Amino acid sequence: MDIFTSLMQGFGTVLTPYNLWMATIGCFFGTIVGILPGLGPGATIAILLPLTFGMNATSAMIMMTSIYYGAKYGGSTTSILVNVPGEGASVVTTFDGYAMARQGRGGVALGISAIGSFIAGILGTFGLIFVCVPLAKFSLRFGPAEYFSLIVMGMLTIVFVGGKSITKSLMSATIGLALGVVGSDVVQGAPRFVYGVPQLMDGVSFVTVVMGVFGIGEVLVSAEERMKMKTVDVKFRNLWPTIKDVLDSKWAILRGTVVGFLVGALPGAGSTIASFISYGIEKGAAKDPDRFGKGAIEGVAGPESANNSACSGAMVPLLALGIPGSGATAVMLGALMLYGLRPGPMLFTTSPDFVWALIASMFIGNIILLIMNLPMVPLFALSLRLPYRYLYPAILLICIVGAFSLNNNVYDVWMMWIFGIFGYFMKKYDIPGGPMVIALVLGPMLEYNLYRALALSLGNVSTFFVRPISATLLSMAGLMIIAVSFKAVRKKRAILEEEEEG
Amino acid sequence: MKKGDRVFAIICMGLSLWLIIESLQFDYLSEFGPGPGFEPFWLGILLAILSIALFINTFLRRTKEDDEKAQLPGIKALGRIGLIMLITAGFALCLNTLGFLITVFLFVSLILFTLEDVGILKSMFYGIMFSGSVFLIFSYWMEINFPKGFLGI
Repeated sequence: MDIFTSLMQGFGTVLTPYNLWMATIGCFFGTIVGILPGLGPGATIAILLPLTFGMNATSAMIMMTSIYYGAKYGGSTTSILVNVPGEGASVVTTFDGYAMARQGRGGVALGISAIGSFIAGILGTFGLIFVCVPLAKFSLRFGPAEYFSLIVMGMLTIVFVGGKSITKSLMSATIGLALGVVGSDVVQGAPRFVYGVPQLMDGVSFVTVVMGVFGIGEVLVSAEERMKMKTVDVKFRNLWPTIKDVLDSKWAILRGTVVGFLVGALPGAGSTIASFISYGIEKGAAKDPDRFGKGAIEGVAGPESANNSACSGAMVPLLALGIPGSGATAVMLGALMLYGLRPGPMLFTTSPDFVWALIASMFIGNIILLIMNLPMVPLFALSLRLPYRYLYPAILLICIVGAFSLNNNVYDVWMMWIFGIFGYFMKKYDIPGGPMVIALVLGPMLEYNLYRALALSLGNVSTFFVRPISATLLSMAGLMIIAVSFKAVRKKRAILEEEEEG
Repeated sequence: MKKGDRVFAIICMGLSLWLIIESLQFDYLSEFGPGPGFEPFWLGILLAILSIALFINTFLRRTKEDDEKAQLPGIKALGRIGLIMLITAGFALCLNTLGFLITVFLFVSLILFTLEDVGILKSMFYGIMFSGSVFLIFSYWMEINFPKGFLGI
């Protein structure tokens, strides 16, 4: 079956009233929760995950991808209206978006952000189709050794590119891997770190960790002081960008889309880096770069497009290889596993209906977001005026209900409670939660593939180095370690020289 | 930040020692490859090395602006966090005895009344609204079974 026919069948699945409704609800709630400062897409998906319980896998994932896109758009709203980025990727949007809002062009900034995000989302999804299918076919050649090497390389990339401190990111990933060893081991089925708690035999539940660290932890940080925000009024007459605004932004949107997709597809790089690169490109390409930071529309259009197409890019390693490239896609991978699906190349063969419906839903989700966002911007802006004191008990409740409904057991609520405290301190001490969550998902896969590769080669470690794909991936990981170490030594040397001169 | 990094490094050092000691209870190798003790052992070693590196780095690196800032909020804010977590723990403790609806009502009312200076009647009103909404979404729409307490609700 060719791509076009498969995609059309995917549209057939999505375009049922129920799935369309799920996509609409996902976009709406994703935007609403994404608007709340501090709650990025990962946290939003984690918090809203319970809404998908009881659905079939396809409808659940349609809703989750819609939440993902909605959360991305919601994050931009706070950046533009109150100068508080909802997540890292929206930081750049504050530079010119907030400046535009102060000039009374907040609606135009939100409008161009919605249009840019829509175009980038659609083009990015086409990119996903054309990259994902051949990559999935290629990765059918992967055996356990290749998967082991791929996971090692992917995790190192996430650690090296993601956080501010490589040491802390590595520590976070190691803790995630350590959490992953709890439960029956893959080799002998021996219970590890269980201490007589029967629920731990199945391991530490990914959902409780994610909701605790991302959901409760983030809420606690926001709730520690009584949060007050000053909003900028958005009037309907200012909402629609003019034809000139759109024409001024067209190249910024296209450049942002390409940059976002390419960067988003790399594990760890994600939408934050994509949006910064896009902003740099736009500033560099502008005839009068002095406008940037003072309300240049390209400064909103480029990064917002990059931000959104990075979402499509991030789905490439998830769907084709089964390796999440970011915290948000790690949450989605965990959710897929909850529904008994195993992402990776075989997914295209074993569950083509599901994959193509998911891809088709990304097109539909973007259309729904555009239709919903343009007229509803004032409503979303209004949600920023809801006192936070009424919002955080609601978020806490959703997390508690979600944890409880996993197994209809209070044990999961307690686990989430513990990880909530852990998440709070991680946030306060600048320890990135993403690497931990990704490592928790990938850890058992890493151990399983290591064992299988060695079992197939009768214990011969050289199997990782003589198989060409595995060797290439490990060489790339090695090169990355050398490059990062070299950079760190050079930085240290520069500081020492500076101190000596001073 | 430096102080926070040191505390984190020490906690992780403890965690790494625990991982190493516990891993020794399991077989290090199996017939063809790693046994159940292999991964936790090496994770413990890796975490120990990283903890030491972070700890030493706090003494070697130049003090940045971030390092000067206090990482934890004041006593008042910490008290708020503590109370939120206490009320959440109370939710988990009371859920099976009081039932879902009453626990949600108490949870919301208590948070609003004790932490947000909302009047008792208004807090109770929001408590009822939240219980009703959560019931409609999760219990009625999504058909999740929640515990019924001694009152049967």
